[in-house]
Amino acid sequence: MSDEDQERFEDYLELEQYIEQLQAGRVAHPPAELTPGRANIYRMAALFRSASPESGEPRPEFAAELQTRLEQELQQRPKVAPRALKPEKAQKKGLQVSRRALLTGGAAVAASLAAGAGINHVVEQARATPNQSSDPYAGRIIASNVPTTWHLVTALADLGDKAVRFASDTIVGYIIRDDGDGGDPDKGKIIAISAACTHMGCIVQWHDADRKYHCPCHGGLFTEYGHVDAGAAPIRYLRSLPRLNTKVDSGNVYVEVPVGQGSTSTKTWQ
Amino acid sequence: MSTLRSNQGKSHLARVEQSITSMQVPRREEDVQEFQTFYQENLGLIYRYVYSKVGNREEAEDLTSQIFIKAIRGVDTQRGPQSIQKWLFQVARTTIADYWRVYYRVSVNSLEELLEGGWEGPAEAEPAIVSSRPTERVQCILQALPDHYREVLTCRFLLNLSLRETALRLGLTEANVKVLQFRALKRAADLEHITTGSR
Repeated sequence: MSDEDQERFEDYLELEQYIEQLQAGRVAHPPAELTPGRANIYRMAALFRSASPESGEPRPEFAAELQTRLEQELQQRPKVAPRALKPEKAQKKGLQVSRRALLTGGAAVAASLAAGAGINHVVEQARATPNQSSDPYAGRIIASNVPTTWHLVTALADLGDKAVRFASDTIVGYIIRDDGDGGDPDKGKIIAISAACTHMGCIVQWHDADRKYHCPCHGGLFTEYGHVDAGAAPIRYLRSLPRLNTKVDSGNVYVEVPVGQGSTSTKTWQ
Repeated sequence: MSTLRSNQGKSHLARVEQSITSMQVPRREEDVQEFQTFYQENLGLIYRYVYSKVGNREEAEDLTSQIFIKAIRGVDTQRGPQSIQKWLFQVARTTIADYWRVYYRVSVNSLEELLEGGWEGPAEAEPAIVSSRPTERVQCILQALPDHYREVLTCRFLLNLSLRETALRLGLTEANVKVLQFRALKRAADLEHITTGSR
């Protein structure tokens, strides 16, 4: 046993305090900066506390509340459009496009898959951090310890009411002005979203005609601000397109993206 | 093209085809039933696991909620229920690991000792959640303890007696009890690896 684990008077006091808090049913935390030996003692106390007769099972009210909340989460997924034809059409379209794309699209599909794979990893990281649970976009796409750079997209004066695509080394996306018609708190700001479809990573395509982003692969459909559209193919648990930070500097619009291997200037995406 | 024919490509192609053919109108009732069953089967497991790590109801409820919500958001529903359960347990483990990191901060010097001392921390084996209920593990450990340690822990944790009540019952001073419970938990920690085989 190391010297650090010599028993001290404070040890007994602190432990007693911890036990009393547990018994009182309050939130309890061990003292900070514990040695491994001491940390184990507190872990044991928590474990033993859980064996007490009153601690075993979840409260019925809690269980019910959580169940309701989870069902709400499930229902936030896209509903099938009431127009019975639409889903079928999307299905068929998806079928043809993806088969054709796979059989003939070759390089383009492989490239988007590669892009998708890269972005998914970053998204997973972002998801894994303990998060604001009510945020519909489930946090930012880029984890906090990832080095980033500001990528120039276009001049502010050139940004009308359409989405403008950008492609950096690491992210392909769109920027668009938020005119607040979605009741969105970001009204007036410039919104940037990742164009990687949250289904399997294909690059979604903005259509001026309906002002939506269409995924060429399986019928994913997103509104102008990246929300899942009601007309999207019934893909389970399709999520909104993740957002990126933007800034306007000297009349130019920039988006914050992870640093890539190459230069930071705009590159055309193959 | 060749990338698509490789093993990796094959599974992707298979997945895409599968997702196309399964893209029928979701049968809402079945979905709801499936979820309810999954929830009922797993809520208790997760809650007890979390409680045994945090020791109090409030945080146990908070973390259990976080875990289920995270799991539902990130789940790939093409997989079967067992695979989804695995995913749920994974989320539970990482959530608890994050909790450890915040509340069981170990001084940087002790980092080496941490690993040598076999401190479980983030990397816990899966059996911890599934196989033994916390109550069973505690019983196991209690049986393996010397009498005086077993008695003090039974008083404080299973019978929920106060410091004073425990001292009276065991015929000791309160100061004695404080020392005794400390050492009892320490010994219990040592025994945990041996009796429950968890590492």
